[in-house]
Amino acid sequence: MSAAVVPDSGTNPAVRIADLGMVYRGGVRALEGVNLEVVEGEFLAILGLSGSGKSTLLRCINRLIDPTEGKVWIFGQEITALSGGELRRLRCQVAMIFQQFNLVRRQTVLTNVLSGALGRTSLLPSLVVSFPQEERERAQASLDRVGLGDRVGSRADALSGGQQQRVAVARALMQEPRLILADEPVASLDPALRHSVMRHIEALNREEGLTVICSLHDIDLVERYATRLVALRDGHVVWEGLPGDFDRGTFKEIYGEDAEPASNSGF
Amino acid sequence: MVAATHHTGDGNGWRKNLARLQAIGIDAVLIAMALLMVELLIVAFSGRRGPTGLLLSAEEILDLLHYAWVALAGLALAVVWQLFYRWLGATPGRALVVGVPEWERDLEWTHTLRGWFAAVFIELTFFAGWLITELDLFAFLTKFSKARDIVYGLAHPSASVLHEGLVLLVQTIFLAFMATAFAIPVAFVLAFPSARNLTRGSGAARLAYMVARTFMNFVRAVEPLVWALIFISWVGIGPFAGVLALWVHSVAALTKLYSEQIESIDDGPMDAIKATGASTLQVLRYGVVPQVIPPFLSFTIYRWDINVRMSTIIGFVGGGGIGYILKPRVDLGEWGEVGTLVLLIAGTVWLMDIISAKIRERIV
Repeated sequence: MSAAVVPDSGTNPAVRIADLGMVYRGGVRALEGVNLEVVEGEFLAILGLSGSGKSTLLRCINRLIDPTEGKVWIFGQEITALSGGELRRLRCQVAMIFQQFNLVRRQTVLTNVLSGALGRTSLLPSLVVSFPQEERERAQASLDRVGLGDRVGSRADALSGGQQQRVAVARALMQEPRLILADEPVASLDPALRHSVMRHIEALNREEGLTVICSLHDIDLVERYATRLVALRDGHVVWEGLPGDFDRGTFKEIYGEDAEPASNSGF
Repeated sequence: MVAATHHTGDGNGWRKNLARLQAIGIDAVLIAMALLMVELLIVAFSGRRGPTGLLLSAEEILDLLHYAWVALAGLALAVVWQLFYRWLGATPGRALVVGVPEWERDLEWTHTLRGWFAAVFIELTFFAGWLITELDLFAFLTKFSKARDIVYGLAHPSASVLHEGLVLLVQTIFLAFMATAFAIPVAFVLAFPSARNLTRGSGAARLAYMVARTFMNFVRAVEPLVWALIFISWVGIGPFAGVLALWVHSVAALTKLYSEQIESIDDGPMDAIKATGASTLQVLRYGVVPQVIPPFLSFTIYRWDINVRMSTIIGFVGGGGIGYILKPRVDLGEWGEVGTLVLLIAGTVWLMDIISAKIRERIV
């Protein structure tokens, strides 16, 4: 989308993670020795039980959480070494979608989408919620794209869960990112609505060539959308592979001996 | 991992000793208080006479008590109880800090020393409190006639002060309004550094939190009445001094309420805004402010309501408003006029209460 000049984008790692570790205050270890490379244009799914470190890993990538060990590079820039304005500029290229949507509930859909442009909007106008006309048009276009063009004036909390998550996708789109981090984007939605959100994320990946790193726990969704999988267990990467390689044995390895795949998951 | 376990092991030992000390401290205070109260009761009921030949008042009794010795005795007894705790059972302090030991948990209170101590302590507290606050049921039940004039006056308000009262009532309401309005921007700015969840980031943020909190608690600790006296000498007697006194107090009170509201927000939207590459001020503006504005408004209206009531007292010392003419009438015993003024204040407070409740209902 943004005409970033990335020569040879097929082999350039969008994200490189080296020896990443995270110990929370209070001593809980969430990640240990994670090494990972994400190629630009990939749709990488992160699998694992809740508590396996998926959220922590995603939040360490854009430094919503500061990892206690290891390094992370995004598009060749070491984000773990940045701070202040440099960190914020790099974050502008990394959009995030959350399980709980994390919209500002009392504000309009339009303001929520516009907030995706905050990183490139000058401070004073943004404090009085005044955005340039072209940003407003872009916000409208983003909303049109997720099928919510007619809801610009609604309050965010007046929308259904599925619609709110689509607003969050529009906010991510507004950011004009090169990388999208999605933390269980459809886990709190009605199963019937999951594809309505996933399809939009998929479109960004296929049509715009954005790199997507998405934690999911539904094997169905993983097989349908991901181009590559990584599985976490107790904060370690325990498995890496392609969707086709994933079988019952791998499933047990990731989720433990007691786990059973849902009956509709195809194996 | 091994190092971590070892570390926690050390921490536990240190913590255990601290808990033991805390238990002794709590026991010492409790036992010393019990000793004091026993002594108070003995002195009172053994009928020691004061210099006036009457039974000693509670104050005089407390003057006679020797706190240092009592404190030492309490400490000694607390230590002894700790040492014998395997035979005697848990002490109150140990029960509070460490928890009740397994074997004592299912016993009824009548079978534990701790239970008996608590029962006696509660009873002593009531007896001592009766003496210290000089409860006099006899006077309460038989001497109403002396207050009859006041109650009669209050029930028969006189119209002579109505006009002046109404004018000053308007002044009171505006005084409270100005104090509240000026307090809003200051409290709004101070609330952010005073919120724990926004100030965990850096050392500077933590320092700002400490400074803001300390300042706020200090200001809040000083009564508005004292602030009024300060500002009366500063800007002179009159409503402006009252506005300043209530303003200072409202800033501190609103900052506390605002910051507690900020501490209870949902972190999610803040994370989402931060992730877009927004700067700190933008994160506050988009991730925090929209979540806290409605409760802020509700607190502010409530504060205005409180300020109307408080400005009466401020007026007593010369801070303007209706209190200013109420005080001399109380002193002179013009109970009819006092009645008028009290009715005016009560009516206003009642109205403000209804209005603020309605507005807050709409907002939240």
